[in-house]
Amino acid sequence: MSAALADPDRLQQLQMLRASALAFSAKESPPSRARALRAEPPGFDLQFWQALAAQGWTGLLAPESAGGYAQGFAEMAEIAAALAAQVAPEPLVPVLVFAGRLLQACSGHPTARALLEEIAAGRALPAVAWQEDASDAGNFDQRGCLAEPAATCARQGGDLVLRGGKRHVRPGAAATGYIVSASSPHGLALVWLPAGTEGLVTAVRRLADGTCAARLHFQGIAVPADHLLAVGRAAEDALAAAYDEALVLAGVELAAVCRQMLSMTLDYLRTRKQFGKPIGSFQALQHRAVDMLIQQELSGALVAHAVGELDRGCAGAERALLAARVKARCSEAALAVARESVQMHGAIGFTDECDLGLYVQRALVLSAWLGNGALQRRRFAHLSRNTAGLPEAAA
Amino acid sequence: MNTTDWNALDTEDFRALVRGFFEQHYPESLRYPKRRLRWAEIRDWTLRLSAQGWLAPSWPARYGGMGLSPEKLIAFIEEQERHGVARAPDMGITMVGPLLIQHGTDAQRAHYLPRILSCEDIWCQGYSEPDSGSDLASLRTEAVPEGDDFVVNGQKTWTTLAQDATHIFLLVRTDKAAKKQQGISFLLADMRTPGITVRPIRNIAGHEDFCEVFFDNVRVPRANLVGELNQGWTMAKSLLGSERIMIGNPRGARAPLLRLRELAQSSGLDRDAAWRARHDELRLDVDDLDALFVRCADVLRRGLELGPEVSMLKIWVTEAQQRVADLMLETAGESGVIDASLALPGGALHPANVFFSARPASIYGGSNEIQRNILARGVLGLPG
Repeated sequence: MSAALADPDRLQQLQMLRASALAFSAKESPPSRARALRAEPPGFDLQFWQALAAQGWTGLLAPESAGGYAQGFAEMAEIAAALAAQVAPEPLVPVLVFAGRLLQACSGHPTARALLEEIAAGRALPAVAWQEDASDAGNFDQRGCLAEPAATCARQGGDLVLRGGKRHVRPGAAATGYIVSASSPHGLALVWLPAGTEGLVTAVRRLADGTCAARLHFQGIAVPADHLLAVGRAAEDALAAAYDEALVLAGVELAAVCRQMLSMTLDYLRTRKQFGKPIGSFQALQHRAVDMLIQQELSGALVAHAVGELDRGCAGAERALLAARVKARCSEAALAVARESVQMHGAIGFTDECDLGLYVQRALVLSAWLGNGALQRRRFAHLSRNTAGLPEAAA
Repeated sequence: MNTTDWNALDTEDFRALVRGFFEQHYPESLRYPKRRLRWAEIRDWTLRLSAQGWLAPSWPARYGGMGLSPEKLIAFIEEQERHGVARAPDMGITMVGPLLIQHGTDAQRAHYLPRILSCEDIWCQGYSEPDSGSDLASLRTEAVPEGDDFVVNGQKTWTTLAQDATHIFLLVRTDKAAKKQQGISFLLADMRTPGITVRPIRNIAGHEDFCEVFFDNVRVPRANLVGELNQGWTMAKSLLGSERIMIGNPRGARAPLLRLRELAQSSGLDRDAAWRARHDELRLDVDDLDALFVRCADVLRRGLELGPEVSMLKIWVTEAQQRVADLMLETAGESGVIDASLALPGGALHPANVFFSARPASIYGGSNEIQRNILARGVLGLPG
């Protein structure tokens, strides 16, 4: 049982937060809003982001010293799940969890602290730019850890010079800047690269759900030396932790999307009639619906456990293994439920008019983001073989 | 009465303690047996566990159990599996104990529970009949009151290890006029009672794990009725939770998975990327069950009734076990169908028997098709 569930006060607060998050997202973010935003970049609504800030949710995880509320992952999970259940396209996990937690780990640094305050206030939307490999596998080393980047960072006079490129950067449009991972003579460097820096080339790619990812090119662009947020071991630890946390929260979103797709499908099975009775009365469909339920509950129980473990302070290899498992299971579950949901809806499930499609599109993007199920399973295997001290068999 | 608070121990310390005990006391020759062991073979070990006070890990301490939390229970079972400890006849522990604790009289509890813990009584389960499998409530074995006794006539089947049992708990029809679920009662019977005949059935693996049990004018004292007359179905349903959570334990799939890995290491197939991808998927299928299992086990531990959702555990673990068995058979290739155990560093392994023993898992305890029906109605609310 997670620490959050063991504490009755926190449990009650979580329930209140869930109720208000669900009420807010149902009222302010019907699927029709997400549908309309798919048309053009950035694929989400900056004014809606301000509304999230007004609720205090952009500062939920940030420390009080940065104007935040110093809440836990369980609280963040409630907000993320409520919005995901309405297919809200805003980049909560990329900005608030991935970038936000990364900056928090570097918050001894004045630039990082200032950025964290801006995030909490809803004014900054930084993106973490760490991937270089198009198909993801090359983003990890043979141990399953984040690979050393090919992008470089070198000192030149009073400046830092960045060379290289990054892929799959989210949010892909409307990001206010990028936390770039690069190799430096002192190890891994995390460098703040503001959007619009001269020489930075940004190509925006539309994703399957209408949100965007960016491809960045920076061939020798200079940023001030005080944009070096962390270097060496501190940078590695910060990036690894924020990555794992983002995986778990992406799992939270996937689980919420999965729950919604199953719920829509069950409604359809109960109401759609053929041969004179609801199609949900046919045993063949009932059994397949149960298999969807099992996927939903397996991923739901696992992700709830993982959120509790993050709040407990679970770290290192233990955290990495758990996060990889969560992302693998939730990605596969969401895709399996997405496929079956379309099938059970019949032709209507294949139309753009049916809201189910919004969830299927989101499931596609989220399950691929940060490494899909197959990749996370391979990582899990590499990580666990290393952790167990077993010799790594040649692949 | 057990007085140790096992749950206060750190889980790793608890594991080490349990593992140490198994390593020291479990007979080497019985590790990873290739089939279900008979009572004569596993008796000495079971008595050793009993003397240690470890026979009933899940029972509350006040009844002589270890009172383990779900996490500790998983750890206990996993250590058993890791060491290749055989499963003893456990119907008394997993079924009769919880039944009597919840529905028995004080006299029944005082009489039977200590005898289960001391291994004086070995129980088997009399549920299925030749014409009542998935439709269990249609059962016809009949008990008619006569003086201080019931007179029982009929036949039970698929009764696991009935040939080794001293006692049987059974569902009998006590009211033929009532709706089928409402005329069923729960009886406890001594297998040595005149009129009971046991006939073992040979299974697909060539073993005699289950039996037919015939009742011919068998007199069972009325004091052996559990709960109220004609309330047997309700109690059996509430017991199903205990049974399904027992079957739904991740161990059913984790133990063969560990052996599968060993098998592949011995042949070098574990270096093959395609094999590894399949193995890793199975491994996570098993690991990811833990969180759901702990959630259900915790409901039971808090004394609450498990809902139909427990059926999910049963489906998932038995089907995962079958996927593991399939890959094991494939990995072993032609060696896998030789009717002999392979000698692996971690102990003997008989792949064909692993494959065979995975078959009934999705059939007993309510077939997986029945479990899916239950979930479709009870959890998803789909129309009948």
